[in-house]
Amino acid sequence: MSQTLLGIALVILSSAIEGFAQVCLKKSTIQSMRKLHWLGVGIAFFIVEALLYTIALQWLQLSTAYILGSLSFVAVTIFSSLMLNEKADLERWAGLGLILVGCTLVTIQK
Amino acid sequence: MRQTETGQTPAPTHHTHGLTRGLASGLALAVILDTAGQLLWKFAVERLPDNLSLWSTIEAAAQQPWFLAVIAVFLCQLFVWLKVVENVDLSFAQPITSLSYLTVCGFSWMMFDDQIGFTKGAGILCVLAGVWIISRGKRQTHTDAGTRT
Repeated sequence: MSQTLLGIALVILSSAIEGFAQVCLKKSTIQSMRKLHWLGVGIAFFIVEALLYTIALQWLQLSTAYILGSLSFVAVTIFSSLMLNEKADLERWAGLGLILVGCTLVTIQK
Repeated sequence: MRQTETGQTPAPTHHTHGLTRGLASGLALAVILDTAGQLLWKFAVERLPDNLSLWSTIEAAAQQPWFLAVIAVFLCQLFVWLKVVENVDLSFAQPITSLSYLTVCGFSWMMFDDQIGFTKGAGILCVLAGVWIISRGKRQTHTDAGTRT
């Protein structure tokens, strides 16, 4: 696997982790119990995300990595639907669609 | 008898939507710091020896003072951002920060010789539009858990 592909995979993974971490932070603000638990998990995952992104930046152009980071919007939508029961409206799906198309285009060009 | 919902609407954080000079500079500063943080991050990474493992990257990054600058810039950015959203609706402020997709790509094209052709340029604009649409959306909570029975 080329380093570019590995870098892309790492940014996708770190975006997924960011989505999860964001939802953990949100949970820490709305749950009456175990607030610190969710806050701690959220911050820990943010640190992991930053480390993975740092490794990915070794192999990717910054413009590619930064744009692919917008996939965290997709991850936030998925995790907040699973963990918070939030429903995305049509407008949000349209935005997510544009992000997915954009990330594909950015990845296609070497 | 079921009680009617009287005046149960959550107090809207009603802020001005006018762009005052202070707010404009706050938003500009947020975008600038975000961009600077990303560029510094890449700059710092380029000064790391080639690594594959997670641990050796952590070790090398801990000894690389540029990473402290990255952290400092992002802390400043967080501070500025909190000040901005204290004074204005999030749905007004957040779409504007998506401009950093343009500035980061523009500067990394200039500073790091990133290749941005037609395909990638179109992709960047798609992402910018998508993030804009999402972040300007209504700030209502659709959580089922929040509704009372």
